[in-house]
Amino acid sequence: MTAPLLSLRDLRTEYRTDRGTVQAVRGVDLTLYRGEILGLVGESGSGKSVTCMSILKLLKRGGHITSGSADYDGTDLLRLSEGQLSRVRGDKIGVVFQDPMSALNPTMTVGRQVEEVLLQHRKISKKDARARAIELFKLVRIPSAETRIDNYPHEFSGGMRQRVMIAIALACDPDLLIADEPTTALDVTIQRQILALLKELRDRLGMAIILVTHDLGVIAETADRVMVLYGGQIMEEARVADLFEAPQHPYTRGLLAAIPDPRQSGGALTPVPGSPPDMRNPPSGCPFAPRCPKAMAICLTPPDLYGAGDALHLRPAQRTRCWLADPAVPAELMEAT
Amino acid sequence: MTRAALTPEMWQPLAANPTALAEGSSPQATRGFWAGVRSRLFRHRSAMAGLVFIIFLVLAAIFGPMVSPYSYFEQNLELSNLPPAYRAYTVDADTEVFVNRSNLSLYRVDDQGGLSALLRPDSRDMINRQSTWQIGDKAVVLDYGQRPPVLTINGEVAQSGGLSINARNPFGTDQLGRDVLVRQMYGARISLLVAAAAVLTNFVIGVIYGGISGLLGGRVDAVMMRFVEIVATIPLTLYVILMMVVLQSGLLSVVLAIGTVYWVDMARVVRGQILTLKGQDYVAAARTMGASTSRILFKHLLPNAFGPILVTLTMLIPSAIFIESFMSFIGLGVTPPQASWGTLTSEAVETLRAYPYQLLFPAVAISLTMLAFNFLGDGLRDALDPRLSS
Amino acid sequence: MNSASRMPLAWLAQRVLMMLVTLLAVITLTFALMHAVPGGPFVSEKMLAPEIEAALNAKFGLDQPVWRQYLSYLWGVVQFDLGPSFKYPGVSVNSMIAEGLAVTAQTGLLAIICVVALGVPMGIVAALNRGRWPDTLAMFVASLGIAVPSYVIATVSLYVFALRLGWTPAFGLDDWRGYILPVFALSGFWMSFVARLTRSSLLETMGQDYIMTARAKGLPAHTVMLRHGLRNSMIPVVTVLGPVVANLLTGSFVIEQIFALPGIGRHFVLSITNRDYTAIMGITIFYAAFLMLMILIVDLLYLWLDPRISYGDRK
Ligand SMILES: Nc1ncnc2c1ncn2[C@@H]1O[C@H](COP(=O)(O)OP(=O)(O)O)[C@@H](O)[C@H]1O
Ligand code: SF4
Ligand SMILES: [Mg+2]
Repeated sequence: MTAPLLSLRDLRTEYRTDRGTVQAVRGVDLTLYRGEILGLVGESGSGKSVTCMSILKLLKRGGHITSGSADYDGTDLLRLSEGQLSRVRGDKIGVVFQDPMSALNPTMTVGRQVEEVLLQHRKISKKDARARAIELFKLVRIPSAETRIDNYPHEFSGGMRQRVMIAIALACDPDLLIADEPTTALDVTIQRQILALLKELRDRLGMAIILVTHDLGVIAETADRVMVLYGGQIMEEARVADLFEAPQHPYTRGLLAAIPDPRQSGGALTPVPGSPPDMRNPPSGCPFAPRCPKAMAICLTPPDLYGAGDALHLRPAQRTRCWLADPAVPAELMEAT
Repeated sequence: MTRAALTPEMWQPLAANPTALAEGSSPQATRGFWAGVRSRLFRHRSAMAGLVFIIFLVLAAIFGPMVSPYSYFEQNLELSNLPPAYRAYTVDADTEVFVNRSNLSLYRVDDQGGLSALLRPDSRDMINRQSTWQIGDKAVVLDYGQRPPVLTINGEVAQSGGLSINARNPFGTDQLGRDVLVRQMYGARISLLVAAAAVLTNFVIGVIYGGISGLLGGRVDAVMMRFVEIVATIPLTLYVILMMVVLQSGLLSVVLAIGTVYWVDMARVVRGQILTLKGQDYVAAARTMGASTSRILFKHLLPNAFGPILVTLTMLIPSAIFIESFMSFIGLGVTPPQASWGTLTSEAVETLRAYPYQLLFPAVAISLTMLAFNFLGDGLRDALDPRLSS
Repeated sequence: MNSASRMPLAWLAQRVLMMLVTLLAVITLTFALMHAVPGGPFVSEKMLAPEIEAALNAKFGLDQPVWRQYLSYLWGVVQFDLGPSFKYPGVSVNSMIAEGLAVTAQTGLLAIICVVALGVPMGIVAALNRGRWPDTLAMFVASLGIAVPSYVIATVSLYVFALRLGWTPAFGLDDWRGYILPVFALSGFWMSFVARLTRSSLLETMGQDYIMTARAKGLPAHTVMLRHGLRNSMIPVVTVLGPVVANLLTGSFVIEQIFALPGIGRHFVLSITNRDYTAIMGITIFYAAFLMLMILIVDLLYLWLDPRISYGDRK
């Protein structure tokens, strides 16, 4: 394979609040290749949003990246100044947020919101920006683009608004699109349309996509590769087909077992018993231990993220963070898996 | 973790070790809502400063006039317009005097350092503009032909001593010779009284009005809220002024007028709270169990609406205090000889050129009080809304 | 959608109707209040001979039944005639208002300008420097501005700047410097209020999702703030401008008195001490009408500021 488009190493991000420091992301590694759709899945609060927003340092107040690097096209994004980063944001990397109701400025026409990003990064006239905005609206299939462009966000439905968001994100032909739960706020039919659109745009424009979701069905339908996050760490990483066929991590298994047909969207991740850890004071060992049906004494020590080379059962691109994948695991436990 | 350390027992199931599991999952017991509010409020420095000041003020208002040797109405025209601090002139070994250059009077300094006796001049020379006092064997002459007037003792220009506090009236006296300190404390009484009455009546009216409107809903609610809209468009000051015109000035009228103007905000807050709470499960549960409307109102809804109501009430206090002093300042509030910070200010304005320091006490008192209540209200609002404090 | 279709005539008509109803309520209320004053309007006067009192009563129509007086007063108001002054023979309430209006409008307008032109930037500076010294300083000054009553600001500044330092005249508006203290005292509270509101509204707005979108577009920080933050955060500020106008008007009672400015507020306070009932009624009604007009204007301003608002859709 060619050199990765983005490679994130040992990302650690925390939020400092007056009720303590939240360790939102605790050492995430992520590699993304051109044209690839990488799914990021996990329960709410597992650190998906913080992980992908850290790439562009788009953190809310109190958020700090304490370590790590994000190598993008030869530059470490995490070392860039705000000014340098703003040349990457919106131009090389586009972002689509979860809630299209609140992610668009209510007092500005959608057209201006698209033109704005073009005028920021491209040397073009206002007229050309408008023409390009109409073109983008057509690309994301907003009907009667020429007139709708002068409307305000509240005059659109949720699905249409998300298309506007996608148009904004794609305006400057980015190499990477970060889509943070782009369909969570939409109903199921609209959700399918938006996912199909994203996939089609990837095929036509060739950009890579990081697709955040807490819906395994969305992953099954859309992603090429998937990473399961829990407690700010990667629990399992695999090609989509491998994850569904041979899940290794007890958490992943729990997720899959709880869904009758995981390849259907709408399979939201709630049914694993128990609740996620408090990230102000995360468990010192395996974060899943308090909920894990297989938990062992050793699980109070943090397990490694095993790759295919150093663990049992793993497929080529698969990694898992669980003691059960350790080569030293007793044979009778192996049977049980 | 070194691999060599792996031992067989490490692979034993962990279910037998629940305490180890509990670690990390819940770092602190979830405190009660009000405990959280209280601790956030106590950490709010300006709110605490406000609270301390308010407690001090309440104590001064209640006990101050009781322990003071003077009453707020007792006049002593001989001792009018005396300052809180003065510079004395030594006439002889046991006589020190103070000259009030604005009214050309001479006062004897008593043993305690207070200005307690007016000395009448033994002769007045209106033509040369001089007054003369014979004190012991000294002739004390005040020459007011010059500006400022000059005091001479036996023909020599007298030198004044250092600044000393007027022990008799530490805040000085007003134009009628009344003790400013006791009038200040009495003014605090009036302000706090008006505030308390305003809070109480507006609370009752607002809760009843808003409660009925919110609970009944529908057409009644629509009509009641329209009425509130109409009332809200009339400026409150204007309304209070009109009420005062009708009721004639006086403390009771002030209390009545202010007590009936601020309920609109309260009614809106209560109604809003009730509408949001109405949909919640436990109210529905209470209804199915056959609780009456008033029972639901008092037992379930109001305790929950308590926070926002409390903030509205706290914020109402400075408004009431302000309106009372404003009305008294323009002469529509309490009637003389009663003192309020507003009348004290306006009296001080009358003598602003001669005795500017008289403005200081009422101005500082009302400003600090308003500041204290505002700080407390802000702190309370922040404390009740954990979202804001992150 | 253009603004015309968001403000259908039906809405405007309903709005104006509502204003008229409110105004009628105000007229009725003030009329009732003024007629509820114990004793007749002439009681405070030195013992009037009965025949003179009767003549006066006849002159002001007080010998008529109350409903008659009410109707004829109402009829007068409809024709923009607020009747004659009780206390100044030959002077109409209309002319009293007309005379004071220029002064009150001038100081009021200047005060509004101060409130917006100083209060808003103060709030912005505080929000931009959240938690640092400019924020602390601005909010401390604003706390003072909110706490210290306008008449205290007026008297203290009168003493310091006019009497002590002699920088400004102590009364009157003959010199432009004469405007400084009254306008300062009049706008102090609302300037502080607007500064605090701007700060909190801007901080709240800057926490919105669309601000994150703007940042994700690669817009520079100041563009995010000015283009996306400020406009949206001004919506609540505009909401209070209606009440601000009302309160500046009532605030002017005391300010005009302290600085001896011949405005409507001074007329009003004078007519209260004089028990000039027709003047009290007339000026109150004038205030109420003016106020409602202001609120209507604010509503229209709203329409321009917030495209989500459509008065046509209201149930
Ligand atoms: N602005 C914030 N302030 C404090 N904590 C935050 C903030 N945003 C996220 N967190 C915390 O970081 C962790 C990860 O959050 P996030 O990445 O948003 O989860 P998700 O997987 O649902 O996207 C959570 O524990 C969350 O509480
Ligand atoms: S490491 Fe232990 S607790 Fe964690 S998932 Fe694996 S078996 Fe469960
Ligand atoms: Mg998220």
